[in-house]
Amino acid sequence: MGSFVVRMGRSMLGSAVLIAAVAALALAYTSSGGASRESLVAEMLSNFILVLGIQIFIGNTGVLSFGHMAFAQIAAYATAVVAIPLAAKAKALPDIPFGLDNVHMNPFAATAFAVVVTVIIGALLGVAVSRAKGLAPTMITLALLFVVDQLVKNWKELTRGAGGLSGIPRIEGNGWLYVGALVALITAHFFQETRIGRFSIATREDELAAPALGIRLFTSRYVAWVVSIGLTALGGSLRAQSLGSVNPKQFTLDAGILVLVMLVVGGMRTISGAVLGTVLITAGNELFRQLGDPERLDIERFPDLFLGLAMLLTMVLRPEGILGDHDLAGWLRRKMYRRAEVTPTPAVVGTRPLTAREVEVVFGGFTALDGAALTVKPAEVVGLIGPNGAGKTTLFNVITGLVEEHAGSVRLGDDDLTTAGPVDVARSGLARTFQNLRLFQTLSVRENVALTALVAARHRAHRVRPDVDVLLDAAGLTEFADRSAGTLDYGNQRRLELIRAAALAPEYLLLDEPTSGMSDTESLAMVDSVRSIAALIGAGVLVIDHDLGFITRISDHIVVLNEGRVLAEGTPDQVRANPAVAEAYLGSQA
Amino acid sequence: MTKLLQTLVDGLGVGSTYALLALGISLIFGVMHLVNFAHGELITVGAYTAYFFFLHGGSWWWMPFAIIGAAVLASMATEFLAFRWVRNASPFTLLLTSFAIERLSHALWQIFVSPKQRAFPKPSWVFNQFKIAGVSFEVMDIVTIGVTIATLVITAVVFKRTLFGISVRGAAEDFDAARLMGVRANRVISGAFGFAGFLAGVAACLILMRTPAAEPSMGSDWLLKAVIAAVIGGLGSFTGAVVGGVVLGLLETLTRAYLPEVATGWDKFSTAVVFIVIAIFFVIRPDGIFKVSHAERV
Repeated sequence: MGSFVVRMGRSMLGSAVLIAAVAALALAYTSSGGASRESLVAEMLSNFILVLGIQIFIGNTGVLSFGHMAFAQIAAYATAVVAIPLAAKAKALPDIPFGLDNVHMNPFAATAFAVVVTVIIGALLGVAVSRAKGLAPTMITLALLFVVDQLVKNWKELTRGAGGLSGIPRIEGNGWLYVGALVALITAHFFQETRIGRFSIATREDELAAPALGIRLFTSRYVAWVVSIGLTALGGSLRAQSLGSVNPKQFTLDAGILVLVMLVVGGMRTISGAVLGTVLITAGNELFRQLGDPERLDIERFPDLFLGLAMLLTMVLRPEGILGDHDLAGWLRRKMYRRAEVTPTPAVVGTRPLTAREVEVVFGGFTALDGAALTVKPAEVVGLIGPNGAGKTTLFNVITGLVEEHAGSVRLGDDDLTTAGPVDVARSGLARTFQNLRLFQTLSVRENVALTALVAARHRAHRVRPDVDVLLDAAGLTEFADRSAGTLDYGNQRRLELIRAAALAPEYLLLDEPTSGMSDTESLAMVDSVRSIAALIGAGVLVIDHDLGFITRISDHIVVLNEGRVLAEGTPDQVRANPAVAEAYLGSQA
Repeated sequence: MTKLLQTLVDGLGVGSTYALLALGISLIFGVMHLVNFAHGELITVGAYTAYFFFLHGGSWWWMPFAIIGAAVLASMATEFLAFRWVRNASPFTLLLTSFAIERLSHALWQIFVSPKQRAFPKPSWVFNQFKIAGVSFEVMDIVTIGVTIATLVITAVVFKRTLFGISVRGAAEDFDAARLMGVRANRVISGAFGFAGFLAGVAACLILMRTPAAEPSMGSDWLLKAVIAAVIGGLGSFTGAVVGGVVLGLLETLTRAYLPEVATGWDKFSTAVVFIVIAIFFVIRPDGIFKVSHAERV
């Protein structure tokens, strides 16, 4: 509860500073120059809400959506059909369905109505968007944009078609738009502080590593989508009430791209970036609009030039946006960070053995695993070795749910993990690392570990959970805690991936080649790191490596795979003395 | 029956234009994981080229060569001036870069020519009708389908038989491996853009013979359909692009011809239906018809 208050406080503080800066700028600008300046600020503020709306989804999940304008449009029309006074409505929309001819709401109720209706529609469609992978969600949102556009243009009883609706009671001044912008800022900030918000960011950083740490792609994307649609709806509704009219031209793909440019130019990953982008692009757009020659009746041409140039330059020179990962909220998070006083709780060693039996996997015609089996006992370190192509990584992937076995079983004590996917495997107590590092690159070292600790707090609450700072200490990463993970050197990245997995409080750590690319001295140091961190959390270890020196030092027990089968197993000395092992490794003459 | 035949021929005509454009998009996606939203601008370039030459007494006898040449050059220019500099960036960055080029192209035509439509003459034979077994066809239908088939044959030969084509396919399979085998990245990518430009140029000719006019944003509508077609087929798959284009063309014309009018005034409802079908398709089969596997090693 205490941490909730702290997070809320940070969101409020960050938002307050940003809105104050924008408001000061806007008020200075409108202090002279009259109504046209006021309306520019109104435009900027409603853009502001829309940009933060798409930031919540695109910025946090990394999935591009073209469809958000469709929801702004739905909200704008929903506002119009309940807010236009009855007499005017009877004239403009004589055949309005759903009994809306008798409905008239005040601005607050109309805004709330629009947001609720839009969120319901968005929540239904969001199931499809959040389930899809790769480019499909982007394509679905693009199709949605056109469907809504066509519906609005053709459902004339409800929308009056392409001509649009006017006579929406206008809100006086920009006061309520400032309030809307503040609401948007707090929502966007707070979303990033919530568990699900952090999880969305993890899926953005690595679609494969996040599930392997127990983060469900669908859930985090879906929640981000719904919240983001809610804000977008607020933006659409307020824009309609600020302009007093709606028409389909306000919500085209082009309008959507304008908002997208604002997000991308400032830096989509952070809220400060979204704010900066909105201010810069709105101002630049207006500047170039005034450059147009009104005589030629084609004043829209210069804004296009500006948008194209702004976007192209950003992409070529600074693809992550002007601010990149710099963020007021992130800065506050680091400044306000206080190391928790922890009384170290001794780790409890698990009681359940990890067993894989008779595992068979066939890729096409190639039998990768042919009856492989192994058992890891609690707190034991088991090394898995074998020549290239022996099926080590495949067995790992079977155990962690990434590859489906054709026969055999995987069990953790009494839990059957045979058919479980990566998320459930991780949540039930197996945490893995990857052969080719999969860190959350742009997040800080501490955030990488803290993210898994969040999963653990939710799904591994029955275990004693390690403290994030204790883990950082154990891996010697405390001094780098605020650096982004991608900037660490190779050995430290390996150690970070190790403690990120350990933060899940797993019963077993599964390490796929933790020393690959390391020097001999570094490998030796890794033996101690792995052993001490496993002891810290009371976990057993299953480790693949090519470095026989490393494996024989670290393992209590070694399993040798060859051609998908177990060739030999035993203590390191027994395995070393086994002639069959030497033969598999070195050829028959050995 | 007659109506069905004519609808099918119409659908094939539109669909084969989509197919040519989608093939270019799929090709570029294959070599550099870019969904090129600037691809449609090549049609616009072709249209303005035709417009300028007709101002100075052009003729449709040689105009296709001018249009295709301009599209090839423009396509390679976008690579040289923009995409080369973001080559190793994320697909997101690449896509937005192509969007930026699309915007710039619109702006430049508006500033240097006019935001208004500029028309030029069409070939005289385009809408001539002829009958086969009592069903009347337009000459242009047959030309469209014939030219598309010829272009697809050329494409198939280039990608199956020439060193360039094989390098491109190799690069699409695994770029790093292809580089190690001695494939030059710059040449392959620039060549792929040139070939995509050729395909877009052919499509532009077919489009401009029917509607001989240039307009700054004319490429965008075609582009969206072509991107959708390429993704339906499975990005990176050449067969998929062609199938996706034809399927989309048939879907559009069939819904337009056979969908009952829901109510008066719902003239464009068929467009909405097409997009609803597309959205549902992507929910069911997110990787397209021909899935191209980019198996990641873990």
